[in-house]
Amino acid sequence: MEISYFRTHSKLFEIIWPKEISQSILKEQLMVKAYLEKEYADGIKEIRMGFNTLSMRLVIDISDKDCFELVEEIKSSQLTDFGYQTKTWEIPVCYDEIFGKDLNNLSKIHKIAVEDIIHIHYSKPYTLHFYGFLPGFMYLGGLDERLFSPRKEKPERLIPAGTVAIGGQQTGIYPSDSPGGWHAIGKSPIKLFDIRLDPPCPANIGDKIRFFPINKEEFYQIQKKVLGGQYRLKHD
Amino acid sequence: MSSVQDLGRFGVAQYGIPYSGAMDRYALAQVNFILGNPKGAAALEMAHTGPELVFERDTRIVFAGAEADIYLNDRPLKYGHVTEILEDDHLVVKKIRKGQWLYMGIQGGFESESVFGSKSWYKGISPRDRVVKGDSICYLSEEERFYPPVETNAKIRSDWFRPNQINVYPGPEWHKLSTLLHNRILKKAFTISELINRMAYQLDEEIANELDPILTAPVYPGTIQLTPSGKLIILMRDGQVTGGYPRILQVDNISLNVLSQKRTGEKIKFSLLGEM
Repeated sequence: MEISYFRTHSKLFEIIWPKEISQSILKEQLMVKAYLEKEYADGIKEIRMGFNTLSMRLVIDISDKDCFELVEEIKSSQLTDFGYQTKTWEIPVCYDEIFGKDLNNLSKIHKIAVEDIIHIHYSKPYTLHFYGFLPGFMYLGGLDERLFSPRKEKPERLIPAGTVAIGGQQTGIYPSDSPGGWHAIGKSPIKLFDIRLDPPCPANIGDKIRFFPINKEEFYQIQKKVLGGQYRLKHD
Repeated sequence: MSSVQDLGRFGVAQYGIPYSGAMDRYALAQVNFILGNPKGAAALEMAHTGPELVFERDTRIVFAGAEADIYLNDRPLKYGHVTEILEDDHLVVKKIRKGQWLYMGIQGGFESESVFGSKSWYKGISPRDRVVKGDSICYLSEEERFYPPVETNAKIRSDWFRPNQINVYPGPEWHKLSTLLHNRILKKAFTISELINRMAYQLDEEIANELDPILTAPVYPGTIQLTPSGKLIILMRDGQVTGGYPRILQVDNISLNVLSQKRTGEKIKFSLLGEM
């Protein structure tokens, strides 16, 4: 395992992987997280992840030497999966241009037909690396290189909740209304963040997200079911 | 803008939910200590011009944090003194003169809905995110008036947030900056910009940015990000939980309270803690 660390102060430090977005790093992060939660639960207040970082807030004070030794211990331990099973979630997306307001623009930028952009977007599953930016916002890895798109220079004032968008090397779904600089390509009728539930988000870190295309009629049907609490998100 | 705040919401940042909580935790601790409340009792946090309030039940209140002109039934209220409130009392918080955030602690704390272990208001998480005209905010009131003894000798002063020195630790990307920039950042006086809110404080000055964006990584209240334009953004209590800008410094917890009370146009200087 290729890891280093950075200690900000005696109660905050992070373990760092090479600077890349990859599933093998994610798997190592989850193994390290499970190991720390098992072995050092009492000393840890909170663990959070980024693409190549695992950050820890501590209850106890740790020295730089402690951090060094902990990282050595992790490197030399035989970490296992802890039998963690990932799920694949099926998320309906309507790619109609009434929701995908930036599809035409992206088509011009990439010189790819709108229907091909849509097809590329839903043909492969994505991996949930962590939540951030907004409550319930999933950082997904796995966007096809052909769809990498620089963020808008001037962010939109309002991107409606449910919007599926592309920004930089990522794609995501806005869980709530928000300003944002990503390109809208569609909208999902489902609710990915519900404060009345514990946990408030259905998918766990490491799970897969698969988008499937629906038309406008289906969008409104599902939306109605979601509002009535009758829609169950499918997973394998 | 006014909202109910306590110590914040912990354990759900993994779902992208910010901590929230009082911008100035020291002032929140003061009001609760003086009233004999639990440490994390919720108080009313106010900025700019506070609201006009009519009390519907007897209680006791105390103010701390920013200095403001406060009137109870048209009579000026003294800073940091416990005030007995009677039914129908009318309180007006006028202009905040010094500091940014004013706290009104109340006997037993405010009773807003607890979401994931906190009564702090935050958009999309709590039912309300700010006080608007006509709102009612609940507090505990008891039939039998028995209050724990108050710290009548407590002296609350606002001069503790006067220092302009903000203590910081090196952040994960600090060492990627050149020594030249280290020196510039530590010697320069920075000005609090107009862009300040519960999420972040932006500083006016620009410094050359030599760093590439990082892969999105965890950030905390007090994390100082270096943006592509060279401006520094200091994340505050409602700040997002991850960010893609280099995290060059991390404000010490005590200094974060001092910093929160700084107003647009005020100057601050960073002082580096810990080993380089």
